[in-house]
Amino acid sequence: MTLGGGRTALGEVTTHNIKQLKKLNSVVFPVSYNDKFYKDVLQAGELARLAYYNDVVVGGVCCRIDLSEGQRRLYIMTLGCLAPYRRLGIGRLMLDHVLQYVEKDGSFDSIFLHVQVNNESAISFYQKFGFSIVETKPAYYKRIEPADAHVLLRAEQKTLRKTNEEQVNHPTVNGTMSNGPTTNNSNHHNPHQHYNGRAK
Amino acid sequence: MSANPSLPNNRTLPPKEYALFKRILKCYEHKLYKNGLKFAKQILGNGQFAEHAETLAMKGLILNALGRREEAYEYVRRGLRNDLKSHTCWHVYGLLQRSERKYDEAIKCYRNALKWDSANVQILRELSIVQVHTRDLVGYRDTRNTLFQLKPAHRASWIGLAMSYHLLKDYDMSFKILDAFSKTLTIRDSYDYEKSELLLYQSAILEESGDLQSAKKFLLDHERDIYDKYTFHESICRLYLNLGEYGRAEAGYRKLLSMNQEDGAYYEGLAKAMQIADDPAAKLQLYRNVERQYPRAYLPKRLPLDCAEGEEFLTYLRPYLAAALDKGTPSLFTDIKPMYQNPAKVIQIGNLVESMANSLRDYGKFSKDDEKVASASALLWTYYYLAQHYDYHRDTDTALAYIEKAIEHTPTLIELFMCKGRIYKHMGDMNTAAQWMDEARELDTADRFINSKSAKYQLRANRVEAAAAVCGKFTREGASPMENLNEMQCMWFQTECALAYQRLGQLGDALKKCHEVDRHFTEIIDDQYDFHSYCLRKMTLRSYMELLRLEDVLRAHPFYFKAARCAIEVYIHLYDHPLQNKSADEQISPVVEAVFSDISIIYVTYAFQADRRHFHF
Repeated sequence: MTLGGGRTALGEVTTHNIKQLKKLNSVVFPVSYNDKFYKDVLQAGELARLAYYNDVVVGGVCCRIDLSEGQRRLYIMTLGCLAPYRRLGIGRLMLDHVLQYVEKDGSFDSIFLHVQVNNESAISFYQKFGFSIVETKPAYYKRIEPADAHVLLRAEQKTLRKTNEEQVNHPTVNGTMSNGPTTNNSNHHNPHQHYNGRAK
Repeated sequence: MSANPSLPNNRTLPPKEYALFKRILKCYEHKLYKNGLKFAKQILGNGQFAEHAETLAMKGLILNALGRREEAYEYVRRGLRNDLKSHTCWHVYGLLQRSERKYDEAIKCYRNALKWDSANVQILRELSIVQVHTRDLVGYRDTRNTLFQLKPAHRASWIGLAMSYHLLKDYDMSFKILDAFSKTLTIRDSYDYEKSELLLYQSAILEESGDLQSAKKFLLDHERDIYDKYTFHESICRLYLNLGEYGRAEAGYRKLLSMNQEDGAYYEGLAKAMQIADDPAAKLQLYRNVERQYPRAYLPKRLPLDCAEGEEFLTYLRPYLAAALDKGTPSLFTDIKPMYQNPAKVIQIGNLVESMANSLRDYGKFSKDDEKVASASALLWTYYYLAQHYDYHRDTDTALAYIEKAIEHTPTLIELFMCKGRIYKHMGDMNTAAQWMDEARELDTADRFINSKSAKYQLRANRVEAAAAVCGKFTREGASPMENLNEMQCMWFQTECALAYQRLGQLGDALKKCHEVDRHFTEIIDDQYDFHSYCLRKMTLRSYMELLRLEDVLRAHPFYFKAARCAIEVYIHLYDHPLQNKSADEQISPVVEAVFSDISIIYVTYAFQADRRHFHF
C-alpha cells in the first residue's frame, strides 16, 4: 500500500518489539499505561497492531473485548500515530483492520472508545467511520485537562449468534486468531526484525 | 588398512584369529569401537597370541579413537616393540601421531611403514596428505609421483600429481599432466561441471605462469565446455586487458555488464579497456550510457559520485541523496563515507544535506522549488545523516543536537539510538554509550546485530558479565554464554573481552581470551586437513588452491593481529612489572615467565609477518 509517497503496513506486536509500542504510546498519548496494559497487549493477537511507514514504526492500535453490561463489545484502548505521519492514512489503515476484525467475527454488538472532549480531530476521524458520541463522562481522566471524555460508539450488526459462552470468549476468525500470544512469528514488514534466535 | 597374512613369523595368525583381526579392522573403519575391542580381546586373551603386535597396535588405535590416549600409546608402542618390521604397526603409530598433530613424527612413521611395504597405496596417500598439510611440497611431489606410478588409472593420481607441480610453481609440467589427463577422459554428452572446473583450473595455471597468450587460446578453445560463465568471461576479459587487446576486452566487459550491472569491477575493467580510466569526463559519459541502457541499475548512479568534481559533483549528488533519504536508507552515510577523503566534497555534502533539512522542515520538499513532496520520513533520515556527518568530524555537540531532533521526530527508530550511543563512544563516554546502545537493543530484542553491538559496547565499558548476559540471549540454551561463544569461535567478542580485562588489570583473564583466539586460528588451519583428499575427489581445484594460499597467511588476519597485540602488551607488562604481593598461585614463577616470553616471541613473529603482508590497522 502506498500513501503520501511511502509504503505502509501493519505488523504484529511481539515480546521482541513491544518496547517500540511503549515508546510510541509515551509520546502520542498524555496518559501513561502500566505494565499490565502491555502484558495484555501481548495476549491480544489481532487486536494489537503496529503501523509501519517506510519500514519505521509510526503508529499502534490496541483493543480488547469488553463483556460488561451483558454485551459483547470491542473497546479500542489506544489508537495513535506519531505527529509527522498524520494525515497519511495510517489511522485509517489501523481502524480498517479493527473494523474488518469485527466484521469477520460477526458477534460484536458495538465498537466503542473514549476521547478527550477537546480532541476534535479524533472525534471527526471516528465520525467518518460511523461512530457517534453517545455519552460524556465527566472527570474520566485523572491527570490531564480537560478531564472529561466522550464515549464514541458504532453499533454493529451481528451476523453470527454464539450461544456457547466459551466460544464467545475465544473467538476464532478464519481460524487465524488464537487466544494465546503469537510472538514467535517474524514480522515481514520490519527490516530490523530478523528473528534468528533460539527455538522457543 | 591391509594386513598381509603371507608375511612370515610371529605376524601370521591362524585362520580363525586372522578372521577376527580382519573384523577389528572393519570395526575401526566403521567406528564400531566397542566391538573392535571385543575382537581384540578374543585374540589377545588367547595366551598364545597375547603379544600379537598388530592386534596390540590396533587395540591402541581404537583406544585412541575413544579418547584414552595414554593407554593407546602404551598398546601401540608395545605392538611396535614386538614387531618392528610390521608396516601395520608403523602405520598405526603414524596415525596416532597425526591425530595429535605431530606431523613430523607421523611422516617418520609412515616412512618406516613404507620401508616394509613400499607399495602400500593407503599409507602413501596418508603420507602425501600430511606432506601437503605441512607444506613439504617437494616431499609431496615425490609421494604423488610414486602414487601415480602405482595407480595410473585413478583420476586423483593425475590431479594430485599436477597439483604438486603447480604448488612448486612448475606450471609447465603441471599443465602438461592435466592436458594428458583430459585426453584420457571420455567426452560425455551431458553437463559435466567437473570437467568445466578442470578446464578453468588449467587456464589459471597458464595465466599464473605468465603465458597469457596460451591461457587465452586455451579458454577460447574450450569455451563450449566451461559452464561457469562468469569466471569464463571475467578471466578472458582480464587476459584481453593484460594482452592489450582492448577492443575485445571492451566487448567482453559489456557482455559481463549485461549479465550483472552491480559489480564495480566490470565498470573498472570497461574503463580500462576503453582506455579512459584516468579521464573522469569520459567515465561520466560511460556511466550515463550504461544508465540509459539499464535504468534500474544502481551503480551507474553511484559511481559518478567518485569521479565528478565541483558543480558537476553536486548535480549527481543531489538526486542520489534525495532518492536515498526519501526512501529511508540506513546505510547511506556508510555508502557516502569514502568521499569524506576529499575535503571539498565533504563541504559540498554538508551544505547540501543541511539545506535539504531546512527545506524539508519548512516545505516538506528537498528543495523549495521541487514539485514533488518528499516522504514523511525524509526529514528524519536527513537529521540522522547530519548527526553522522558531524559525528564523523567529532563535532559531538552538533551531532547530538541533530540526533535529538531525529528522536523527537520519530522516537521509534532503532538506528537513532545506536547512533546516539556511537556519538558518546566517540566522546569517550563509554558508560553512556553502552546505555544508549542497550536502549536500542531493547527496541528489537530479536535482532542479533543490535544485540551484538550492545554487548560490544558493554565490553568497551568494561562490563564483561553484562556483555555475556546480553550475548546469552542468542547463545545455545543450557550452555554458559562465554563457553558457547568460544565454541562458536566468536572472535570479536573474545578479543573485546581480552581488551576489557586488560583495562581492568585482570591480566590472567585477558591472556586466557587471547589464547582462545589463537586456538581458533590453529583449529582453522587444522580443519584444512580433510580438504586435501576431498578436493581432489570433487575437482574443486581452484577453490582448493585458494584455500591453501589463504591458510598460509591465515594469521595475518586482522582478528589475529588484534588479539596478538593485546597478548604482547600484557606479556611485556608482566615482564616489566612482575606480580608482587600475590599468593603463591597467582605468582608467575620463573619457569612460567620463560614460557611467556617464548609465547610472546611467537606472537611478535606472527604480528610481524602480518605487518609485512601489508595489512594496515
